[in-house]
Amino acid sequence: MESFLTWLQHSLGKGPGDTAQSWSEALLESLNLWELLEGSHLLGLILFVGTILVVDLRLLGLIFRRTRVSVISDTILPLTVFGFAFVVITGAALVFAKPLLYYHSIWFRLKMILLTLAMLNILVFHSRIQKSQGGWDAESVPPSKVRAAAAISLVGWLSVIICGRFIAYDWFECGKPQSALINTVEACKTSERGAYTLEGKRL
Amino acid sequence: MSFNLEQLLPAARPWVENLVNVWPTPYVKPNFAIWEVGHILSLIALGGATILMNLRLIGVGLTQESPSEIYRNLRAVQTVGAVGIVLTGVLIGMANAERLYDSAAFIVKMLALIGGLILTYGVSRPTAAAEGSVSKPAKAWFALGMAFWLAAMAVFVTGGLIAPGMWHVITGAGLLVLFVMRGRVRIVYAGVLAALVLAQELATRVTDRDSINISFAVSITAWIVGTALVQFFRTDHGEEDGPLTKIIGCATILVWLTGAAAGRWIAFA
Repeated sequence: MESFLTWLQHSLGKGPGDTAQSWSEALLESLNLWELLEGSHLLGLILFVGTILVVDLRLLGLIFRRTRVSVISDTILPLTVFGFAFVVITGAALVFAKPLLYYHSIWFRLKMILLTLAMLNILVFHSRIQKSQGGWDAESVPPSKVRAAAAISLVGWLSVIICGRFIAYDWFECGKPQSALINTVEACKTSERGAYTLEGKRL
Repeated sequence: MSFNLEQLLPAARPWVENLVNVWPTPYVKPNFAIWEVGHILSLIALGGATILMNLRLIGVGLTQESPSEIYRNLRAVQTVGAVGIVLTGVLIGMANAERLYDSAAFIVKMLALIGGLILTYGVSRPTAAAEGSVSKPAKAWFALGMAFWLAAMAVFVTGGLIAPGMWHVITGAGLLVLFVMRGRVRIVYAGVLAALVLAQELATRVTDRDSINISFAVSITAWIVGTALVQFFRTDHGEEDGPLTKIIGCATILVWLTGAAAGRWIAFA
């Protein structure tokens, strides 16, 4: 993985000559494109999580109690899916600009795990819980298993956002003196910056 | 040309520099990231509620429910978001005051924030509560809110390094109109829009003159706004809301988008 990401960051699309840039480097150093991608990622997130929030609050029985769940979800979920696609595309482009930094970031790794869990929760909801929707579709407060899925969804997506924002901070960046646990979780030994113990000794 | 608070209030620099020592900033600064997350989460709550409430005013989205029912259900979420962005915004702003003092993007954000609050609380919410009927006070607030939003966009466009951030607003408007359109009109609209974007891409590869880029930005904006207005003013039988209600819906979504985009560009330029 490390060598693939190194190739992605430093070699892919690189022309001849010492000053030539790879596509990844060109994207990162572009005048406006990287900034536009980052801004778009945030705006896509507002659409994506903002609409999920409304659906989850309905599933929790906190808003739109007189409206069928199917009316809310059928109308709002296309917007959510669009927002998600937007976030994934812009997010992938942002990772492409700094693949090695993201790969060795504890927050990015945690974000990917939480993202997978949140997606699994959606899968479980659609494949199991939603099958019985006819029975609780019109209920002002849906059954506990539905509310549990909605609560997990909310906590999951909020955690994804928190981890995503923390990626920007270098608290645990490889190359800094830090605990063995962090060095292991981030696979710092194989990173360009290396792994350092709390005493400052390179591993 | 770039416009910032330092130019507007040059004597305020010592006060701005001292904000970092004023309570509660010393407690906020070490936990800046946490407050920043709070700001984003508030923006998400505000954004979700605003998008759905105003799409209904435009005549799309949750059309199975009346505008007043949507307002009744989402007003608390929207207010939590609005209070959250102001509260966390003041705190992270105090902890980062010097940067904001020199930033044109911050001016854009503040103008959009004021415009957003006026359009949301003075126009959009009362209009939704009245099932899409726009009262006289709402019309007056609409004029004021639009003035702030237009001023925000004027500073954004002329803000030098932050000017490319206007593409967020143009893209948002383009997608919003695409969502609102139906049938053949939507295909024609999307086709022309795609052709303009492609032409801009080709033209900027041939020549890197800024004037070409700006001409395309103006053309694309004119196409989006023009198509939306034609669509809104067309007499559609069976629609309860007039063109002004739809324009209010669009403006309220886009003013918050402008503020959010400008907020992100504070970090860039």
